[in-house]
Amino acid sequence: MNRYRLIHTTEFAYDAPVSESYNEVRLRPLHDERQSCLSFRLTTSPNSRGTAYRDAHGNWVHQFNVLSEHRRLKVEAESVVLAHSAPDSPPDRTTLAELDARRDQLDEEHFDFVAPTGYVPHLAALGEIISLAEQASDRTVMGFAEAVSEAVHARFRYVKGATHVHSSIEDSLRLGAGVCQDFAHLLLGVVRMRGIPGRYVSGYLVPHPSKLDARQQDVIGGQASHAWTEVLMPNNTWVPLDPTLGEPVGLRHIRVAYGRDYGDVAPVRGVYKGRAGQQLSVDVRVRPALDDAGCEQLAETAAPLTTSLILERPQQPPQQQQ
Amino acid sequence: MGAAPTLMARPGLFEGYDTGGFYDEMFRAPGQPRPPYAKLFQKFAALAPSHFEERRKLADLSFLIQGITFTVYSDGRGTERLFPFDLIPRIIPNSEWRHIERGLSQRVMALNLFLHDIYGPQRILSDKRIPRSLVYSCPHFRREVIGVEVARGIHTHICGIDLVRDSKTGEFCVLEDNVRTPSGVSYVLENRIVMTRTFPDAFEDLEVLPVNHYPAELSRILRSLSPRGESEAQIVVLTPGIYNSAYFEHTFLAQQMGIELVEGRDLIVDGGVVYMKTIRGLTRVDVIYRRVDDEFLDSLTFRSDSVLGVPGLMGAYRAGNVALANAVGNGVADDKAIYAYVPEFIHYYLGEEPILRSVETYICAKPDDLAFVLEHLPELVVKAVGESGGYGMLIGPAADRKRIEEFRERIRAHPRNYIAQPVVPLSRVPSYDSAEHSIGGRHVDLRPYCLYDGDKVTIVPGGLTRVALEKNSLVVNSSQGGGSKDTWVLRGES
Repeated sequence: MNRYRLIHTTEFAYDAPVSESYNEVRLRPLHDERQSCLSFRLTTSPNSRGTAYRDAHGNWVHQFNVLSEHRRLKVEAESVVLAHSAPDSPPDRTTLAELDARRDQLDEEHFDFVAPTGYVPHLAALGEIISLAEQASDRTVMGFAEAVSEAVHARFRYVKGATHVHSSIEDSLRLGAGVCQDFAHLLLGVVRMRGIPGRYVSGYLVPHPSKLDARQQDVIGGQASHAWTEVLMPNNTWVPLDPTLGEPVGLRHIRVAYGRDYGDVAPVRGVYKGRAGQQLSVDVRVRPALDDAGCEQLAETAAPLTTSLILERPQQPPQQQQ
Repeated sequence: MGAAPTLMARPGLFEGYDTGGFYDEMFRAPGQPRPPYAKLFQKFAALAPSHFEERRKLADLSFLIQGITFTVYSDGRGTERLFPFDLIPRIIPNSEWRHIERGLSQRVMALNLFLHDIYGPQRILSDKRIPRSLVYSCPHFRREVIGVEVARGIHTHICGIDLVRDSKTGEFCVLEDNVRTPSGVSYVLENRIVMTRTFPDAFEDLEVLPVNHYPAELSRILRSLSPRGESEAQIVVLTPGIYNSAYFEHTFLAQQMGIELVEGRDLIVDGGVVYMKTIRGLTRVDVIYRRVDDEFLDSLTFRSDSVLGVPGLMGAYRAGNVALANAVGNGVADDKAIYAYVPEFIHYYLGEEPILRSVETYICAKPDDLAFVLEHLPELVVKAVGESGGYGMLIGPAADRKRIEEFRERIRAHPRNYIAQPVVPLSRVPSYDSAEHSIGGRHVDLRPYCLYDGDKVTIVPGGLTRVALEKNSLVVNSSQGGGSKDTWVLRGES
């Protein structure tokens, strides 16, 4: 069981005053049998008024607005999360052939997690990964899904900035590279085309303890924000797979939102009035809530990410999941 | 029906009128009007052509002066246009109207229950009475409103359900449901006013049921949705603005109901509450009769490039601080593939037999149906499932080879986007042909406007009769060269 304090700060700086800013954030970690969200606090500067609800996937969504003119908008989400070990469930031994017999039923029952989406179209080019993973696997659904995760991990390079927030898997397939958002989408594309339901997971990857005091330059690219996937086994359990990391999903993965693809789970989305360009910086700090001595210790894990866009109202601040 | 009345009147204007093998609503045989039309026939037949022409011009002038226009998209010929009005009224026999009224009430209730279920518990999906894939693949299905509690459980406040009379059976059947933002009711009201003014003698000895209570009834329903109670209710009509095809109607209804007409920029959301900007500051808004489509309603939730809506509106709606009519997400119920399941909704939710027949529908998303449709394109009408207004449609028998092949490709590429139906030979009503200066039979449909208050459905008698003014045309949409007629339901059995 791991206990973490997460501080996710998003800050927009505009080069001229803007107003009537409306935002929707998905930043509250999930609370279920594998993870407890012990506290969650959302603050904005300037102050704002807001409402909260749960969306169709069960994610927490907070909406708020700032009407008056402002040049900066800071959104800070602070949560304390307890990560539990997943309850043991018997491994699913269903074979791909058995799955095929039930394919129509799965397509029907889990339509949203099988159907193509804007980010994850069904592409003939994925067929190669399907056959490769089938050969590499023991022909069970579980084995196939793991082989897909390995194949995506092995065949694509993690290159920060190779793609952008609106890139579909067509882009990452062409480039042979991407960031975690693309790796997750690629895995989903392959399993869905094979008839296996898969969902996108947005969340955080807590850096490995040994690296806590060092700037992360590896796969998570200095950002604890992360994305991976879950694949539905025929026994109705969702199995997590992280094709970016290429390692089992464990207690360092903190889940925030589920969706069909990134479009369903964007952490921060907004529109505002004004002709100003903007700079976006995202900063995620994570630390064990308490260290062994009962003291709190901060570790900076994030470098500012900047983009500059000239946009007319309305716009969406891009925040790609890396 | 009794014996045919002896009609000694000269056929006059109707000289040489040919029913053309279709169900003619006025004549059961050449020169023999059906009983409800008998008096009307005599009046028109006695009219000198020059007199008729005079009245007709007077009526056109009347529409022009009042600025009753509509806008046609994508034809490159300027935006505003008069909606051609045909002076010869259409009569729906009273007994038939009562049947239609029962059938429409039943249908509206079932559509409302379907929407309430599909954005709520989804019982109908668990019970496998309609495929989940068909619902979830509908472009107008809005996942954003799953779980949203709408005021008083009403989704379909205003429905315009298109009926046609099938010439083969003489029976009215449902062609399509319009439960998003159906337009046209202003023509029903204006047609009656103009008809009464330019042809007062046509109404002599006939008691035509009134239609002018529509705005009051709509206003009553909108008021009942107010989250702050009826006495304080601030209600507005939200229009996309002057370039919308139905802008005239938006101004008309706002004026008739005595409420504000606003555009998105006139409203603002703060902390999940909607306000209207006025010269005295912000006034809270409780109910919005919105004539803006879902996808443009809130740039935060739907299309981020929309400037027609109100950012943050969905948050206020979800929190129950504002009511929207019609509800968001209704497009899933008038999707043309879902249409095929409405009889099933009536069975499932109401435990009743459908009173009005639907048109046989092939769903191209189903492999068997798709194969049949591709084989029989020249005989079928193909429609894009999410479109309305006669856009994105193929009428097989009237289409050339090139257009049929073009549709074949489109259907193959996106089967879920299309359905097909047999061509329904629409009934005809005598109408004036301004090119030929004579009266000929023209195909018509009927769009009654149904208002649902949560308990019962109220329908103003008649509705909008749209007429395909071009000879032999089956397309009645105003955007495609259609016109309209005053539509009468007479009091008492006739």
